[in-house]
Amino acid sequence: MSALSLSSLVKPPRRDDAEELPVSHLGRALTVRGVLDTEGEIRVHGKVLGRINADCLVLDTGGLVEGDIVARDVRVSGRLNGRIFALHVTLDSSADITGRVFHHTLTMAKGARVEGRMPWRPLNYFETLEQLPETRQ
Amino acid sequence: MTMFTRSDKVSETGGGAKPPARDDTPAPAEAKRPQATAQPLSHTAPPPPPKAAASTVSVISKALKITGQLESTEDIQIDGMVDGDVRGVSVTVGGDAKIKGTVYGEEVKLSGTVDGKIEAQRVVLTSTAHMSGDVVHQNIKIEAGAFINGHCRPDFGKPESKALPPPHKPAAAPPEQKRDAVVGAP
Repeated sequence: MSALSLSSLVKPPRRDDAEELPVSHLGRALTVRGVLDTEGEIRVHGKVLGRINADCLVLDTGGLVEGDIVARDVRVSGRLNGRIFALHVTLDSSADITGRVFHHTLTMAKGARVEGRMPWRPLNYFETLEQLPETRQ
Repeated sequence: MTMFTRSDKVSETGGGAKPPARDDTPAPAEAKRPQATAQPLSHTAPPPPPKAAASTVSVISKALKITGQLESTEDIQIDGMVDGDVRGVSVTVGGDAKIKGTVYGEEVKLSGTVDGKIEAQRVVLTSTAHMSGDVVHQNIKIEAGAFINGHCRPDFGKPESKALPPPHKPAAAPPEQKRDAVVGAP
């Protein structure tokens, strides 16, 4: 279980593996403090205080993340206090974000609230994400 | 000024027609999503929309590694790796799961590996369980084949064993008092 290699973010997903990997589901009553690291999908309905590395992340309505999200696909319907580094970002109308959204493609619904910048970045930015000062802690 | 009045007029005139238009907008928006995915860069489907009814059980899949604490007032199913403590009501540790830390719960069912401690009212170690560390429980079930390296103590819910020493201290105190009494007597 190595950390998610970000260079793989740009490559097409390995469909076979992606389907094999089951979805992690963090329920409403769950609070996680720390780092979540997966090459699969995470659905957050509860609270995460810390960093999330995933292939695909869904932050559901009622979910709260305080920390950075690094993923290929991110869909936000809940609250985020932190940064997103993702190729494809989807913000639903109930999204409430304080922080920055680094993206390559962005879909944003009417009603989504974003306080902060949403910088566009080229593909190679996400390849070299781990070396960038912005992700250093 | 004319701009304002004009825009007002537009909104007024459009006001009657807008409500149905608003109802219609979600559907086209959803219909447009597949088109958006057809872009060369988005070779992946966007994350599926969240389900309206979120199940209350938390599942940590086998691909997920968590470094830190998990706390829930509901059930947790763990199939991945956790480096830290887990607190839940009913905690199920799957066969591929690895936990380094303490697992607290009312009910803990272990089929995987725990390196640390289990504190729960009811503990079940299945045949594939690998437990390195102590198990504090009230009821325990150990199936044949389960591995345990540690103590099983039926102390769950009881006051800490550290609470026992105090009764000994008063026993040690009387001699001191006697000494004082002896010293004080002459």
